[in-house]
Amino acid sequence: MRSLWHRQTRHPRRQWAPYILILPSLLYLAVFFAWPMVRAIRLALWDEAAVLRVRAEPAVHGRVVGALPQGIQVALLDRHGSPTGAAMPSGSQALTETWFQVEGNDPEGHTILGWAPEGRIRVRVSDEQGRPIQGTVRPKLGATADPLTSLYAEPDERSPVTGKLAGGTPVRITEQAVLEVWFLVQAQVEDEVVTGWAPSRWLQVYRDGISGRVDRGDTGRFTTTYIRHMLNDRFFRPALGTTLLLMAIIIPVQFVLAIIMALVIQSRIKFNTIFLAIFAIPLAASDLAVGIVWYAIFTQSGYLNSLLQALGWITTPRTYLAADTRHWIIIAIWLAEVWRATAIVMVIVVSGLQAISQEVLEAAEVFGATLWQRLRHVILPLLKPSLQVALILRTILALQVFAVVIALSGGDVVTVLANEAYRQYYTLRNMNVAAAYSTLILGLSMISAIVYLRLVRSQEEARA
Amino acid sequence: MKDRMETSPAQDADTMARARARRRLLIGRSMVYLVAILLALWVLVPIGLITSMALTTPEVVRSYPKGVLPFIPFSFETMRFFLSSRGIVPGLINSIIVAVITLVLSTLIAAPAGYAISRYLFRGRDAFRLAILAVRAFPVVILSIPLAVTFINLGIFDRVYSLALMHTALTLPTTILVIGSVFASIPYELEEAAQVFGCTPLQAFRRVVLPLVLPGIAAAAIFTFVMSWNEVFAASVLTVQNRTLPAQVLVALRVSPEPYKFAGGFFMLLPSVIFIFFIRNYLFNMWGQVSK
Repeated sequence: MRSLWHRQTRHPRRQWAPYILILPSLLYLAVFFAWPMVRAIRLALWDEAAVLRVRAEPAVHGRVVGALPQGIQVALLDRHGSPTGAAMPSGSQALTETWFQVEGNDPEGHTILGWAPEGRIRVRVSDEQGRPIQGTVRPKLGATADPLTSLYAEPDERSPVTGKLAGGTPVRITEQAVLEVWFLVQAQVEDEVVTGWAPSRWLQVYRDGISGRVDRGDTGRFTTTYIRHMLNDRFFRPALGTTLLLMAIIIPVQFVLAIIMALVIQSRIKFNTIFLAIFAIPLAASDLAVGIVWYAIFTQSGYLNSLLQALGWITTPRTYLAADTRHWIIIAIWLAEVWRATAIVMVIVVSGLQAISQEVLEAAEVFGATLWQRLRHVILPLLKPSLQVALILRTILALQVFAVVIALSGGDVVTVLANEAYRQYYTLRNMNVAAAYSTLILGLSMISAIVYLRLVRSQEEARA
Repeated sequence: MKDRMETSPAQDADTMARARARRRLLIGRSMVYLVAILLALWVLVPIGLITSMALTTPEVVRSYPKGVLPFIPFSFETMRFFLSSRGIVPGLINSIIVAVITLVLSTLIAAPAGYAISRYLFRGRDAFRLAILAVRAFPVVILSIPLAVTFINLGIFDRVYSLALMHTALTLPTTILVIGSVFASIPYELEEAAQVFGCTPLQAFRRVVLPLVLPGIAAAAIFTFVMSWNEVFAASVLTVQNRTLPAQVLVALRVSPEPYKFAGGFFMLLPSVIFIFFIRNYLFNMWGQVSK
């Protein structure tokens, strides 16, 4: 009744307030959750340097006449300098050529102004910033047809000639332009010969100067390369298998233990709250620390061997965490994870139990139901919603097992999906494959969440 | 009643049945205690083992077979060895900085949202709650790999504050839900009464609600701190030079001797265990409500 009244008063008066209050968190999660998720999928499925577009003209806005895949061998038919378009990508190997705008007197005594390539002008004087300001025209060596050097209207050999200067003529350098070399490239792409101009920044030119390869594409394309790389990785199958195996052996045991813990708490024994706090300790324990704790037990000079030796069951310490005792590593991880993550299931189950009305539980007891009967017919059915939530949560968390595995196996003998994502990222420096693993883990999490929610809903519908 | 007074055999049977029932109850009770103690040992013994390894000399740590009695000889030698190892003290400082930034950011962003979901009924409230639950269940730390690429491009890679940004995303959903449930436990009537007596809504909030919710928010903040303190995957991915303590221990794990490992494990475990005792009354606010 009261809550109904709330509804009526609070709702219409300050509609905008809750939206403003939740806005910061929504924005934050959009930036640091939704967006990285999109990024992960993009990194995994999108090859940013897949194809290089070639153009009809050696110009940034030239018409695109074809596309060459990254890595293809190309023949370099011609070269031409063009004004650089966008800023050079860092670490690019773009070839450049420099042109000078010069002013000087031709053999007839006319002053002419025009552009000449750097190679034709010898710089004599530079200003404080190192900019060339004066020079002479280099004489042409050998018996060429034209001993004079042509000046062009634009820094482009195809532009009209504005005049010609003799070798040795002193010139004033008024301007300089840095051009990027473009190549006319040709390659065979699936029965089709593609010819077009491409900037040198995307190309690797071989020493002969007439051939090369497409080093990077300038356009992205959907790709399954990274996914295939992940699937063919030698660690992929073991990682997926171990993750699923751990999930299958950890979760049931956790649920049984958690339900027992919850029933113990619920039975209202003395020191109830102390037991609850003890059971809840692993909730806050670091997974790396827990891995180390169980390492202390299972290592060769560890507690398990000490105990067995004290009992006289073994005479020399056995090894558990070695490459040829994979099953023992799995057992150690299993125990560590059960130890660590049962607490969260326990807390969810306890609060679920508290939501069940005490009369129902007592009624079952009064009618003489045994513990097992009560569990089977009263408690578990009523706990179902809590258990389902705990199951979703645990399944998804089980996909992230990481530090425990590293602590107990070093990450090679026994490996899991999260560890492979880390290996691809950290050791192999392969962001795209690491993102493919991330995407796989996200996908599996999403699928398990959806499957569980479907199950819950269909059961509710069946009941209704 | 009548039967009982007239016939003694039935009375005997009755008392016997009662005695049997009482005995059964007693056995049941002691069974419960036994189970409770066994479970408590299951939790406590591993902690005890690592503690006794960490608080002794490195020679004892290396010895085999290990003694049954813990702490012999009791010594801080192993801990000192661990704390003086390379990268541990800077890692400790980084861990604390990251956790404090995370705690502050997370609480500042989460508190208004928590207030909104517990005090207002607005269109999209359930969708928001569901989204928060979904995010919390999600493997958020996996997202540190695409974030690392972005951070490198932005030039904020390998900074403690950029790691704190990731940790805030990780802890935010939990903090919102906890703070929401803390606010929900304070009746709105209190706030209203204060307003009736002449407070402005803001004053009512500050004078009446805030003192009541502060312990709960503090508990949420402590939990946020612990989550950040424990987190190792994102910390290893997003930092190289400025490693946090868990990331530093993880990287050194393969090449480090056992005293280092055990002392590190104990040292990382310690704050969590202490904190859980402080916030034990709020545990159900934290995790219990996922099922509602």
